[in-house]
Amino acid sequence: MPNNLKSPNDAAAQDEPILKVEGLVKRFGDTTVIKELSFEVQPGQVVVLVGPSGTGKSTFLRCVNGLEDIQGGKIIFEGEEVKARHSNITAIRRRIGMIFQNFNLYPHLTAVENVTLAPVKVLKESPESAKERAMELFRKVRLEHRATAYPGEMSGGEQQRVAIARALAMNPALMMFDEPTSALDPETVGDVLAVMEELAAEGRTMLVVTHEMAFADHVGDRMLFMDGGYVVEDGPPSELLNNPKNDRTRQFVNSVLKPEAAMKGTADSSEVPPNIAAR
Amino acid sequence: MYDFYLPDVYPYLHKLPAALWVTIEISILATLLSSIMGVFLAIMRRSDSKVLRGVSTTYVEVIRNMPLVVLLYLIFLGLPAFGIVFSGYVSGLIALTLNSAAFMTEIFRAGLIAVPSGQFEAAQSQGMSRVTVYRYVILPQVLRTSYAPYGNQVIGVVMGSSIMMIATIEEVTAWMYNTGAVTYRYFEVFVVAGIVYLIVCQMANVARIMIGKALFKSAAAGGKW
Repeated sequence: MPNNLKSPNDAAAQDEPILKVEGLVKRFGDTTVIKELSFEVQPGQVVVLVGPSGTGKSTFLRCVNGLEDIQGGKIIFEGEEVKARHSNITAIRRRIGMIFQNFNLYPHLTAVENVTLAPVKVLKESPESAKERAMELFRKVRLEHRATAYPGEMSGGEQQRVAIARALAMNPALMMFDEPTSALDPETVGDVLAVMEELAAEGRTMLVVTHEMAFADHVGDRMLFMDGGYVVEDGPPSELLNNPKNDRTRQFVNSVLKPEAAMKGTADSSEVPPNIAAR
Repeated sequence: MYDFYLPDVYPYLHKLPAALWVTIEISILATLLSSIMGVFLAIMRRSDSKVLRGVSTTYVEVIRNMPLVVLLYLIFLGLPAFGIVFSGYVSGLIALTLNSAAFMTEIFRAGLIAVPSGQFEAAQSQGMSRVTVYRYVILPQVLRTSYAPYGNQVIGVVMGSSIMMIATIEEVTAWMYNTGAVTYRYFEVFVVAGIVYLIVCQMANVARIMIGKALFKSAAAGGKW
């Protein structure tokens, strides 16, 4: 499958990774959620993280944002090490936009106030220019008519697009999406994915946790399949989806692509042992 | 049958406005001071520091479980034994503030718990400092959820101010006893004082609703106060 959305930055991108993960380990009490995670993200790349639930995909994004302590390894963003309780964490977070499954818009503020709050209070932009920029972003996410609405008055899809505008208002170097469409009604999913596709086409660096395989295939430059706290397979999405090398990947792909895919699947998934054979 | 006769009280009514003002003034001061204390104690309760959490918890548990009268006696009559002497008014204000702050803390703490953790995370993920997160994202939401129980506590402060009489403060209850003592019309003055308190608290309630309407324009509020 062709990668028709290659980002414009790609040529210059290959030297300096924007995000570098080295041997990351994350535990919650006695449970090790991420056992070993190492990979790099180049500027302009759209990396899609897929895999069964509970394999540490969302937790990983939270670690990158310093919302979780890590127990081993290193996360290096733009050459700086990310540490949850370090003083530089707020500076790093300004450069990373985070989109949550449940939007997490500020309910006491209108859409436009949601977008301008951090630029004004954190980046010290003037309220006027922040508002102007917010309206620009609303046009981009096609919500200019909803600027003065409160989150409680908006549909899930609209709220998520406001959340995307809110993250973009900080001009982040990396956008992270934590299952951005999982909490949405099916009919609003498309609007959000369309906006994300545009961002990818602009050459933005994106890290996306999703179960939308068609989107991952179409927009992703690279797909990481995570299972059991490891990256089991890493490659172009079309490769992982059409020709998975690992049994676990194959099993997962068959299960998410459902009937049609399961029927033309290369292996009978019931015969595949659930352990991670490749490692 | 008791003969209800109000005119005996009339000659003393002119002293009532001054007493009423003392009640209102001490209530407003204690409400403001205890609100500020309550916000900080509630945030301390959520701190990463064990010491701050311990201070806040101990404060609330000690003060909340001590009758206001006992606290007032401790400050007004107990502290002078250690050479710390406050006037009656200041003693009353301190007692009322300290007592109310314990309840305010619990009100704001409940409001803080009600804010989803995603709100903290979204604000943090935008690079906001802790102070900015609380000031612009968390506290406005706490204020909204705490607003109804807060009104309850304001009325509690007004009721509590009636005990200040024992620290020689000339507020409405003091007027009531003094007027009763010279006219022997206790029942009548009790009724008058009761009506005065009712009016004061209703005024406070109306003010609360009006301020609330101005404060919370968000549709999420649903127009319920």
